[in-house]
Amino acid sequence: MNRNLLVIVIVVIALIVGGVFAGLYFSTYNNIVTLEASADEKWAQVEQELQRRYDLIPNVVNAAKLYIEYEGSVLEEITSLRSQWATASQTGNVDSINDATGELESSLSRLIVVFENYPELEASQIVEDMMIELEGTENRISTERMRYNEAVRDYNVAIKAFPGNFWASGWGFESKAYFEAKVGAEEPPQVPG
Amino acid sequence: MRGKQAMPSVSGKTFSVIFAFTLLPLLVLSAQGYLIPLEWIDEIEYYALQVDHETTAEIVVVVLQSLEGHGLTRDGNEIIDIVQLGVYIFNELPLETYDGDTVVGIGKEGKDNGVLILIAIEEQQWRIEVGYGLEGDITDLESNRIAQDYLVPELSEGNYGEGLYYTVVAIANEIPVPNQTDNGVRGVYYYEQDISTEEIPFWETDWFILAIVVLMILFGVSVGIPVFRRGGGRGRGGRSGGGGSSGRW
Repeated sequence: MNRNLLVIVIVVIALIVGGVFAGLYFSTYNNIVTLEASADEKWAQVEQELQRRYDLIPNVVNAAKLYIEYEGSVLEEITSLRSQWATASQTGNVDSINDATGELESSLSRLIVVFENYPELEASQIVEDMMIELEGTENRISTERMRYNEAVRDYNVAIKAFPGNFWASGWGFESKAYFEAKVGAEEPPQVPG
Repeated sequence: MRGKQAMPSVSGKTFSVIFAFTLLPLLVLSAQGYLIPLEWIDEIEYYALQVDHETTAEIVVVVLQSLEGHGLTRDGNEIIDIVQLGVYIFNELPLETYDGDTVVGIGKEGKDNGVLILIAIEEQQWRIEVGYGLEGDITDLESNRIAQDYLVPELSEGNYGEGLYYTVVAIANEIPVPNQTDNGVRGVYYYEQDISTEEIPFWETDWFILAIVVLMILFGVSVGIPVFRRGGGRGRGGRSGGGGSSGRW
């Protein structure tokens, strides 16, 4: 009689423990999947804004060309970095996009400095418009980049913290790379050979 | 809350203009009183409310004394860049609506049709942040032109009320009035019905959900059940992503 009761109690406890464990297992999996999807979605948003910049650059360069004579090298550099970025973008690798983007950004910020130092440039409506568009694009990129990085942080924490750390690698989740703004943007970019 | 007294009361989500001094401890006060005369605040709020009625778009004006000391932080650091601050206020700062709810995100959810006009007096900086849904109607260039034509000249004269009001009007003129098919949507528009007093069906109550979750855990199939929360909570509004323009006066 007592033994039967004990068996029932043990079975019930085992069911509860098993149930909780299974619940944890599946909810962890779902949580990571959701976070990954969110990070991917935000990455798509970043890419869209990077593409926007890519499309804008020829207009900026053409407008600036008319007015900037001595600083033509900046424009050439931007043009060549733009095509490097396009190559990196096709690989879809966050790290190489990161590098290419950083170099492009430092060139663009130097162009903005040039623009600010030339009063006659400021007088030109078309160049001013281009600079406003460029600024808007840069703001969008940094906003979407911030959101992507936050999503990546949440995702990376989820797969590295308990209990995700037990299962994440088994499920095939790998930590994602941050998309960082390059520090020291005023340094001349190193063009990879 | 000074500027709200004259407003007609509308139930539901209808914040149109909320000045910084309703939100933030740092008030725009000068020795004579408010830096922005109350009649201008009323004008702005009334106009923005009309815009909300007609287009569902929300125009919010925020006036900060300074970009420092406002207490709005991200990751523990105060946001001192006006662009980032604009993005934060637009998307993450809970704003009070007319019926006392709080809503995060300027503009309507799904439409993302909000515009934020943010000025910082001390630094003499302005920022117009445009929601995703209005980026086509108010381009960066247009927002900059509006600011250069209406905001900057008045602000540099110290006419904050006029500058902000003319800017709100100019921005509103860029926002399209929904066409006939959209009128149907406006008929069941948010603030016509009071969501917070709606009867919650039993299958959406927390207790019911909890019971289901417990049962599912027991059977080992806890599959991300959305826990519905209705009423009294924070509403979700529109989103923005850094679109717009900024500058100094």
